[in-house]
Amino acid sequence: MEMEKIIASERNRFYKLINFRLSYRFMRIGIAIVLLTIVMMFVRAFAMEGDTVWLKVLLQKFLLVGMLIMSLSKDKLEDEMTIILRTQSYAIALVVGVIYALVMPYVEFGVSNVMTSGGESFKNLGDFQVLLFMLMVQLMFYHNLKRYR
Amino acid sequence: MENTIKVERAILNITQDDLAKRIGVSRQTINSIEANRYVPSTVLALKLSDVFNKPVNDFFKLSNDD
Repeated sequence: MEMEKIIASERNRFYKLINFRLSYRFMRIGIAIVLLTIVMMFVRAFAMEGDTVWLKVLLQKFLLVGMLIMSLSKDKLEDEMTIILRTQSYAIALVVGVIYALVMPYVEFGVSNVMTSGGESFKNLGDFQVLLFMLMVQLMFYHNLKRYR
Repeated sequence: MENTIKVERAILNITQDDLAKRIGVSRQTINSIEANRYVPSTVLALKLSDVFNKPVNDFFKLSNDD
């Protein structure tokens, strides 16, 4: 009996975790963070001098956090269909993200060697590039799936 | 799965938006169900049954490919 209670409690906590969503107002907060970060990225690239690598890394983190907030926030009217569409978009983003992470380094390597003799040495993608791509694919597919539903 | 929700809605003389509000979903979801692009959950089917005052089998039918 005690064991059943523990299992039920764990199951409830697990479902709470997987059903976690931020409220709709967080969508605007996420968009604001993303836009502000992009503006700051341009400012850093074209208007700032000196060693600003730390700022670049910080802005990359802010961009990911902003997009994650957008991804996790609910719609104005959340129903079972939007939940299914969101689940589908996460599945697509995962698959496309893994393919991107596997294929893109070879594409970059090939292109750089074709364009310039010698080219760049082979290197894997960074976490920022992969995560940004996956979040972009998820948001794009979710909104497209909603549009064509 | 095929359905006659559009007909049931016409009998009650309500719009997609009215029906959506009554069962707590978006108008686009009702549109997708009517167009057979989306098969609703049992909960939603029972809510529709409540609104139309008919059993679910009266407006949802299995098609040959189900």
